Amino acid sequence: MRGVHPNTVLGLLCVAFGAGLFLLWIPMDTGSAYLVKQRGQLSLGDALAPGFAASLLALSGLLLLLGPKAADVKRLTTGHLRFLGVVLALVVASLLVMRWAGPLLASILAEEDYRVLRDTAPWKHIGFVAGGSLLVSGLIAVVERGWTWRAAAIGLGAALAIIALYDLPFDDLLLPPNGDV
Amino acid sequence: MGALDYIWAGVLAVFLGPEAFSIFGLPISITVLMVLLGLAIGVVVGATPGLGQVIALAISLPILISIFGFNPDALLPVMGFMVGIMKGSTVGGAVPAILFNTPGTPDAYMTTLDGYPMTQRGEARRALRIAHVSSVSGDTFSDICLFVFAPFLAILVERYLDLPEKTALILLSLSFIAAIVGREPAKGLLAAALGLFFVYVGTGEEFYPRLSLGQPALSGGIPITAAVIGTLVIGSIFAELEKLWREQAYQGRINAVAQGPDARLSWADLRRLAPYISRSAMIGTGIGALPGIGSVLAATLGYTSGAARYRARKPKDAPAFGQGAPEGIAATEAANSSVAGANLIPVLSLGIPGNTAAVFLILAADSIGGFNPGPSVFRFTQDPNPELIIAFGLFTTMVIANLANWTFGGVLMRSMGAMTRVPKQHLLPVVLLLTFASLYVQDTSMSVLAFATFFGALGYGMLKLGITPLPFVIAFVLGRQLEDTARQAFSATGGDPFFLVSSPLAALFCAAGVAVVVLSMRRTP
Repeated sequence: MRGVHPNTVLGLLCVAFGAGLFLLWIPMDTGSAYLVKQRGQLSLGDALAPGFAASLLALSGLLLLLGPKAADVKRLTTGHLRFLGVVLALVVASLLVMRWAGPLLASILAEEDYRVLRDTAPWKHIGFVAGGSLLVSGLIAVVERGWTWRAAAIGLGAALAIIALYDLPFDDLLLPPNGDV
Repeated sequence: MGALDYIWAGVLAVFLGPEAFSIFGLPISITVLMVLLGLAIGVVVGATPGLGQVIALAISLPILISIFGFNPDALLPVMGFMVGIMKGSTVGGAVPAILFNTPGTPDAYMTTLDGYPMTQRGEARRALRIAHVSSVSGDTFSDICLFVFAPFLAILVERYLDLPEKTALILLSLSFIAAIVGREPAKGLLAAALGLFFVYVGTGEEFYPRLSLGQPALSGGIPITAAVIGTLVIGSIFAELEKLWREQAYQGRINAVAQGPDARLSWADLRRLAPYISRSAMIGTGIGALPGIGSVLAATLGYTSGAARYRARKPKDAPAFGQGAPEGIAATEAANSSVAGANLIPVLSLGIPGNTAAVFLILAADSIGGFNPGPSVFRFTQDPNPELIIAFGLFTTMVIANLANWTFGGVLMRSMGAMTRVPKQHLLPVVLLLTFASLYVQDTSMSVLAFATFFGALGYGMLKLGITPLPFVIAFVLGRQLEDTARQAFSATGGDPFFLVSSPLAALFCAAGVAVVVLSMRRTP
């Protein structure tokens, strides 16, 4: 695709997505058509609003394809995608640790189920501290291109500070993952 | 109740509302306290590069709702705090621009042109004073315009616009925002189309949730906070981190220049700056009243207009614009600050958010309930209209924030130099975790964090492709309202397929919407 203007690629994707949405997804995945006749009265169906959005998408794609193209337009590079991939992998891993660290430790060390312990310190904080520290220190390590004890300390400190902010003053607030388990 | 009764009721709602504590028997209103706290936090986040009012609003909203609950008494303290953040961050944004040549926000870029040279000459404190006076003057002028014009515009809208016209007006606003924001109108339109598409997922009137692919996670629709905060906040955090990752070399030691004494501004200084401040305030207010046009354009136009005036009147030995002219700071700061108040005119008079701060006010009102920003608020009925009292209460909080900004805002602003030294690569991941925690305490589901991450990736992609996320967010916020109004208008006109062009006003709005896109396409990108 080298040499092709980024707006051309983006325009093609938009036209394709808009057309796919309009011709396939909307007809197959909505409960009513564009217009509905109920008790003799015509009303707008569930398909109309997304249909309008799909038309706008396709129109914007056409405008990108056919409109004027600046030379210095921004483009999504493989470097951007690589960085996003690393960050997303880290976020997903952190959220998984956040979700499962508490229940896993409880199943190994405690006699009761995590669900029973989720309102008891330190059990209720294990997931957030583990996942939160991983997220913060991991992102610092990505940006600084190397893991340091300082990054780990900032991660742990941040997770503890947020627990102090939400959990100490408010009894009714649930930090992740305690609303899910 | 008459208009004055409503204004007075709004003032009383702020000062005699729920009490925080009392000093010698004098009750201190929690709303007043929250405005002041918001202002202080706003100055801090404005002065911290990498943070800003959007992040502060996103993080504070769930905390505030958790503290104050879902009842109408919560509206004024919560919205007052948000008003404080908006005003404080506007003032604080000039600090890194002047002290370290680092604009905390894009609209402060022009401030660096004259602010930093003044710092290098040892006049940092004077530059900060000029920025403070200009910023607060512009903001105050803008608020006065909001107080005067929003109610009148709302009354006109309620009197003359029926359902088809309201539908057409939303379409016009969306096309205007899509076409004007950013360099390329086609990309603005794309962002708005994506916002509309995502808001329609999992919703609708039928039993089957449309476009949900049969997935339970999608069948309840996409949470608005996850979409808005994901796209705006998480997307920009990813983009900032990527920039730092790319740069590798972090901000080095800052060379400190010996600064002169804290010279107060004399009357002669203020008289000299006044024409620049007033001209820029008018430019910023005019631009702010139009939905979607940000403070960057206001700052640019204010600066350009100030430069033209300065060229004709510049004393021989005075520095030129861009080389440390105090008038340059005044022109820029008055212009970018006067956008803030006027930006609320569309949301309060039309129910259409013109900027991200207005989006968060709508989110707050929507979450708490009891106040729907829009033209229906300004109904001066004989029986008390609680929404109108809240609206005047909101105006009162703005006056309080401005008074506080005039009095101690400057002192706070000048003490914020240290915030600019916090390394962004340490701050941003912490902000991300705080954002996740804030989202979770509101919706208590890991799926919200997954949605927010998805929209963060989308926001990052949009920024990298030069697509401004604002039309996306505003389309997402307005999408349901657009569909509901269109459904009602269609039914009310007896199923007229041409209901959008059946009245001259609706037809005019539609034509204007198309014209805005067509004309902006002719702009050279």
